[in-house]
Amino acid sequence: MTAPLPPPAAEAAAGAAQALVDRRARRRALVRRFTGHPSLMIGCAILVLMVIVALAAPWIAPYSPTKTSLVKTLLPMSWAHPLGTDQFGRDVLSRLIHGTRVSLLVAFWVVTLSLVIGTLVGGIAGFAGGWVDRVISVANDILLAFPGFLLALAIVAARGSSLESVILAVSIAYTPRVAAVMRSVALTIRPRAFIEASHSLGMTPTRILLRHVIPNALPPVIVIATLSAASAILAEAGLSFLGLGVQPPIPTWGNIISDGQASITTNPLISISSGLCIAAMVVALNLLGDGLRDALDPQMRRQTARIL
Amino acid sequence: MSPNATVSATASAVPARPDPILSIRGLSTAIAGPSGPITLVDGVSLSVMPGETLAIVGESGSGKTMTFLAALGIAPPAVRTTAGQVMFDGVDLMALDARALRARRGAAISMVFQDPLSALNPVFPVGEQIVEVLRAHLPIGRREARERAIALLERVHIPDPHRRCDDYPHQFSGGMRQRALIAMAIALGPKVLIADEPTTALDVTVQAQILELLTQLREEIGMALVLITHDLGLVARHADRVAVFYAGRVVEQARADPLFRSPRHPYTVSLFRTIPRLDSPAGAALVPIAGQPPNLAAPPAGCPFAPRCYAVREGCDTGRPPLVPAPLADHLSACPHWETIGAEVQP
Repeated sequence: MTAPLPPPAAEAAAGAAQALVDRRARRRALVRRFTGHPSLMIGCAILVLMVIVALAAPWIAPYSPTKTSLVKTLLPMSWAHPLGTDQFGRDVLSRLIHGTRVSLLVAFWVVTLSLVIGTLVGGIAGFAGGWVDRVISVANDILLAFPGFLLALAIVAARGSSLESVILAVSIAYTPRVAAVMRSVALTIRPRAFIEASHSLGMTPTRILLRHVIPNALPPVIVIATLSAASAILAEAGLSFLGLGVQPPIPTWGNIISDGQASITTNPLISISSGLCIAAMVVALNLLGDGLRDALDPQMRRQTARIL
Repeated sequence: MSPNATVSATASAVPARPDPILSIRGLSTAIAGPSGPITLVDGVSLSVMPGETLAIVGESGSGKTMTFLAALGIAPPAVRTTAGQVMFDGVDLMALDARALRARRGAAISMVFQDPLSALNPVFPVGEQIVEVLRAHLPIGRREARERAIALLERVHIPDPHRRCDDYPHQFSGGMRQRALIAMAIALGPKVLIADEPTTALDVTVQAQILELLTQLREEIGMALVLITHDLGLVARHADRVAVFYAGRVVEQARADPLFRSPRHPYTVSLFRTIPRLDSPAGAALVPIAGQPPNLAAPPAGCPFAPRCYAVREGCDTGRPPLVPAPLADHLSACPHWETIGAEVQP
């Protein structure tokens, strides 16, 4: 993306160089906009830590998460087993570390699916209006009327329990929320002058939706998607706790709590530690969502621009 | 169609006049109201000649903007076009499918809006938005489109276009934003540019610059300029011809000089009396137009201006007055008593 080189080359090159400097300054301003929000940074830090743990799980986990041992069942805390072992003699810490993977995987896919589908569906409804909007909105409201967890439960029960089922079920349960937010934001964007101007400049409705409506609606939608990631993790844990989620012996935070339930009076650490992991992840995602909401607020953005 | 037939017949009777590039005939639009449809544009007929500046004047809500939005097929969804024909460059725009109409919008005929800040997408750099217009109409690559966008910004006198093209709309001043919008509108070298109150949101010195730019571009590109405004000063300085709107109708249409010298419709006369003049005696009061514009949901039976007209007489409240030559073929008035109106005008 540099300037043309022909005749007024020197001038153009100077302009291009200046443009590059400007672009760098702008990028720095963007970074500052995000670093200025402590809750966003804390949420991000916890999430990054979890991602590292999930990716490095096979190397940092002291034991195999699925290797059982009849002689080492229900051991208390020790240097060898910092969080003890469960009733099958599996190392709880190793299981928690591996469980991070499932939680993050579910969160990632649910956010991705619900964000993409919800944004498109809600955007089309809000932007197109008329009967398209009515049909989509009614369908969406029906889905919204179900409690998300119950809907997920029904879908998993119908499809059989597997990681894919959980992701699909939780996505179907949470996409309508994203779609509803997207639709309402699209409704506020549709009458704005730049949409009218785009029509007058001969752009296709698809192009206007993708280039003008959706980018302008993204900030609140991203916040909702981030917050629904937290709900997704809770939903996965809930499903696994009920034995409907990811099946043993694959460790997830949900089924670790469930396994620990049997020995909650003698070895409460099993359930408590996995419960804390879930709590930490949910808090991190909520902090991230709140922080993003502040950072993406156009009012705040304008202030930053003025300071610079 | 009867009043419109009069218009087109008289227009074509004048020798040595080229065919209009844009000709609107009997255009009517309506919106659903609580008790039946409300007519927003009521049988509007007007034509735009190649290369001329046509000013559209009238108060807010008189249907100036709606006429052109409907002509381009971009009126809000609730507004229905109930009658009329829009001939642009030999093609009836109303008969075109969405795709063919889109290919003309923004390319052969384009529009500049009133508020330059809200007409730009806040989340993309200005240059990017020009690139998008170019790529919507031309099979060119990103790089080439960018070069052309920079050239366009230069053409509308944005200083340092290489840098400014990566700026966001909020980093532009009001005048620069309007220049950027003009750059988008002229990107494809249109034959008609509709400028909808292009200077209303700008301060006075910037207004003059923007109009100068529009006039300059009109000459360079050879496009016709439709200037929708309620600033009669602008009209006097820039327009070749003028169409005066009142309550969704054209009440007078003429060349600018004769219109200012001897208006032939009481509404135009009243409008001129509301302008302060430098040469009027000190202390002279401006004459406001009495009353309110008619309620479009229940318009008066006859001439829509009759309830406010200073020259109202018997018969004005029945029958809809057509546009008639007054007396020249290119000076049309919707007042049947135009002859006596011209005589009453203040100098």
